[in-house]
Amino acid sequence: MRQLVSGRSRIDWMLFGAMVLLVVLGALCIMSAVNSFSWTTPVVRTHFIALVAGAVAFFVGCSFNYQIYDEQWKALYGFILLLLIGVLLFGSYQRGSRSWFVLPFFSMQPSEICRVGTILMAAAFMDRRGRRIRDVVSVFYLGLLLLPIFGLIMMQPDFSSVVVTLPSIIILLFCTGINLFYLGLIALLAGVAGFFTISWTYIYLHPELLDYAWIRVFNDLAHNGWYMGVFAVIIMLLGYGMWWLFRQFRILLPSFYFVLATIVVLIGLVGGIFVEHQMKPHQRKRVEAFLAPKSDPQGAGYNILQAQIAMGAGGIMGKGLFSGTQSRLGFVPERHTDFILAVVGEELGLWGTLLVLGLYFLILWRIIAVAYLSGDRYGYLVCAGIFGMFFTYMLINYGMLIGIVPVAGIPLPFISYGGSNLVASLWALGVVQSVYARRLRA
Amino acid sequence: MATVTKILFNQRLKTMMVLAVIAGIVIAVRLIDIQILRHNDYLQLAERNRTQILYQTAPRGRVFTADGVEIASNAPSFSLYYLGGQQDPASFYRLARDFAPYLHVSLVELLEKLHTGAKSGKSVLLAENLSTPSTVALQELQYYYPGIYLIEETKRHYPYGDFASHLLGYLGSMDERQWRKRDNKLGYRLTSKIGKNGIEQKYEKELKGKDGGVFLEVDYRGRVKSIIEDKKWAAGSDVYLTLDFAVQKAAQEGLKNSLTGRGAAVALDPRTGAVLAMASAPEYDPNIFVPYSDQMLAPTSKKINEYNLAIQGIYPPASTFKVITGAAALESDSFDTERKISCYGKYDSGPRIFKCWGTHGPVDFWEGMAHSCDVYFYAIAAQMGSAAIERVQRMFMFGRPTGIDLPGEKAGNLYGPTRRARNKSYWFIGDTLNLSIGQGELLVTPLKLAQFAAALASRGNVYRPYYVSKIVSNQTGKTKIVGKPEILQVAELQPETYDKLFKALKHTVDNGTARRAKIKDIDVYGKTGTAQNPHGADHGWFMAFGAYPGEKPSIAVVVFVENGEGGSSAAGPIAHDMLKAYFDNPQHKPVEKEQAEKTQDDYDELLTGEDA
Repeated sequence: MRQLVSGRSRIDWMLFGAMVLLVVLGALCIMSAVNSFSWTTPVVRTHFIALVAGAVAFFVGCSFNYQIYDEQWKALYGFILLLLIGVLLFGSYQRGSRSWFVLPFFSMQPSEICRVGTILMAAAFMDRRGRRIRDVVSVFYLGLLLLPIFGLIMMQPDFSSVVVTLPSIIILLFCTGINLFYLGLIALLAGVAGFFTISWTYIYLHPELLDYAWIRVFNDLAHNGWYMGVFAVIIMLLGYGMWWLFRQFRILLPSFYFVLATIVVLIGLVGGIFVEHQMKPHQRKRVEAFLAPKSDPQGAGYNILQAQIAMGAGGIMGKGLFSGTQSRLGFVPERHTDFILAVVGEELGLWGTLLVLGLYFLILWRIIAVAYLSGDRYGYLVCAGIFGMFFTYMLINYGMLIGIVPVAGIPLPFISYGGSNLVASLWALGVVQSVYARRLRA
Repeated sequence: MATVTKILFNQRLKTMMVLAVIAGIVIAVRLIDIQILRHNDYLQLAERNRTQILYQTAPRGRVFTADGVEIASNAPSFSLYYLGGQQDPASFYRLARDFAPYLHVSLVELLEKLHTGAKSGKSVLLAENLSTPSTVALQELQYYYPGIYLIEETKRHYPYGDFASHLLGYLGSMDERQWRKRDNKLGYRLTSKIGKNGIEQKYEKELKGKDGGVFLEVDYRGRVKSIIEDKKWAAGSDVYLTLDFAVQKAAQEGLKNSLTGRGAAVALDPRTGAVLAMASAPEYDPNIFVPYSDQMLAPTSKKINEYNLAIQGIYPPASTFKVITGAAALESDSFDTERKISCYGKYDSGPRIFKCWGTHGPVDFWEGMAHSCDVYFYAIAAQMGSAAIERVQRMFMFGRPTGIDLPGEKAGNLYGPTRRARNKSYWFIGDTLNLSIGQGELLVTPLKLAQFAAALASRGNVYRPYYVSKIVSNQTGKTKIVGKPEILQVAELQPETYDKLFKALKHTVDNGTARRAKIKDIDVYGKTGTAQNPHGADHGWFMAFGAYPGEKPSIAVVVFVENGEGGSSAAGPIAHDMLKAYFDNPQHKPVEKEQAEKTQDDYDELLTGEDA
């Protein structure tokens, strides 16, 4: 363990300040968003309890040496699995998923804590690979290690958790300095799976397309085993063909690359089929709303449209806290959780949304700076993973509001209402502070 | 850590930060797009989201006749709303019991509506089209029951039913084309009614006021949260017509009671061209359109007759045209009014024999006009030729529209040798004879003939007829003068010609065919006409103008009764009634000079007296 650098701050005050500002802003916006609810008091009360719990989590994150997660990574892994299995067994079933522990005074969502835990665990695993950190085998092993976690989360199911954790892990892998080809493969995997899912959903929502024979065949691919087999063979032949073609042109690439690419596409197909079979109608609607938000303004696209109206109506200066009509009169859905930015936009205007964006960038920049300063590789990897997490949150939440990302039901940490998320996020920043406190350089 | 690794790590971190910055810029640009560039659109959408408006249609501007009779007004109409949520459902029975007697809604129905309103939290229309007596009680009751809202609207009302309906027009729903062409500044709604014809259409912009409304704030489920604003409407501007109520009424009643009930009557002021009356029978009652419900209208609207015979019906002027023939003859130096021509009932033109409607024996100009002897006019027309008659027609602008500000006016048809030559056809002596008694291809509208009568009465001033004098704004009180006398052309006949024509027409009224128009103590000049109709009974014409003794003629009247058989019998009494209605009104009597000065003195005295 490294000695504490004397005479220097243990806390990155800029990171801390941005965090506090966001939390204060968030508390105000939640109070405004739920102002007109009949259940105002419970929400505000719960949020303040969560703030206290979050402060404790932050303090824990700060004061513990982050290297403890590295040393105890197996215990961490076990703890995560235990939590996820526990929620499947004892959790309560709410809004189509079993993701909550209901305790006497509050309920908690273990997948939020697991999200940060998974990053810490994955960073530890990669760090322990030592010199072989950049080997593709390491990625493969990590994949195997994470498979049960993702599997358990999908069983709840909690897509949004996966949607955030997966990019975080990919950014973490990117920062390990892995060969970009493998990263590309991972992206290909996600892309293929996503492509199949989105296409099938689109066909599902537009049955008239089934009049075309080739679309019908494509659609049956999800259910017909024969078709799947034929498709798999075609992909393999295609992989072989590519390899042969490249050789003809004297571009010598290891055949290993082509085998890998073929496998990835096939896994992507399997993933797509899996998601297709797991997907619920309301989730299909979300994809639909993303594909064509104006097609059904009263239905799925309604949410995003109303959120945009709220933001646009706010203008530059906003209507003032507690005076946004879109949020106060209930036009913006989920306004204290996933769409809280719409409330910020309506009541605080462009200044509000840009302030939140700016504070997020301050946090992201500080995390990168801490990663740069970190005393060891583990600290660096942890920061990279946490950076990935906040970056993904910010990108999806803002992207959803401005219409470049599907509505994913993902909160904006520190601003949105949601105790577990707040606690987990504050814990993550506490860990970053811990890395900063044990930094190498000034 | 190895330096190489460190460098790689730093590179990757930098890449990530660059990616984040790019993402941030994209987000910021889109935020600026939404929150600044599209701010107004979204603000409007947000406002539309949260407001529900219970509209109150503004009263349309009223329409008055020249003598101040309100011929288009507004009747109040009330609607009772329940704005939801603010009442204890337990008290509904008491509420319904108190309100039901004043509404034409049953107690059960009322309770049902209240419960739906309370459950959904939305505003509910409890009753509409409430009459005035019940609203007094309701107005009081609404203070005891918060959440109940009485909304005052107005509906168009035409107190005199079919009075001048062809001039007034009526109201109706907008069709698709009108909706697209609507003036956005006037705040039309899909349910707004617009003027469909006549003045209602022509002065739509002025007549339509600004609608008011109760602006409610509603939430995403349409539940009423609060009343934002109770905006009062602003009434439209009033339109003043030049019509004389009594004359118009006489015209309409006369036509209605005429032989066929179809025809037109027009009265003009020869001094200005102002329309004193314009009737086209059958008229219709524009009130039938007021219920505004389309199902109710379908059968009735088919029955109405929008055809304005006064400006759209074209007929040969028949014997009334003999005034023109006479004028043409009087213009020539060689014409002798005292020379007698014998009428044996027919006139031999050579190729054909023309008949007269009677056998008048030897007649001079005065008797010929008074008894409308065809043979006399055949003879003088044959003598002077048709070109002279056509020349006088052109002086009075026959064959051209009168220029009145109404849509669909027909021009009629000028008839004469030069017109015939332009059509590359020949002119025969028979045409001259036909022309002389106003038959043949010569066609006029009743309004055209009235314009001629007025021009004759004013000794040659052909005015453009107008029927709207001014528009008075109810908001600013400003008056806008719309109709002004406008001389289109002056028919420059010799003064003696006019003198002689006046003498002949007065003789016709006093001793001739136009006797029916005679009024005691009034100088009336007139001429009848009976247009031969190959398709049925003849049409009756009557043309007249009158003056207080020693004054200039102040009214010119033309009455046309379709298939009325005789001009004198069918149209004459109507013209008489119109003239009588006019001259019976003491206001039309010219103020004598001495008296006027005296009144002015009294007035001055009064003022100075007050000063002292």
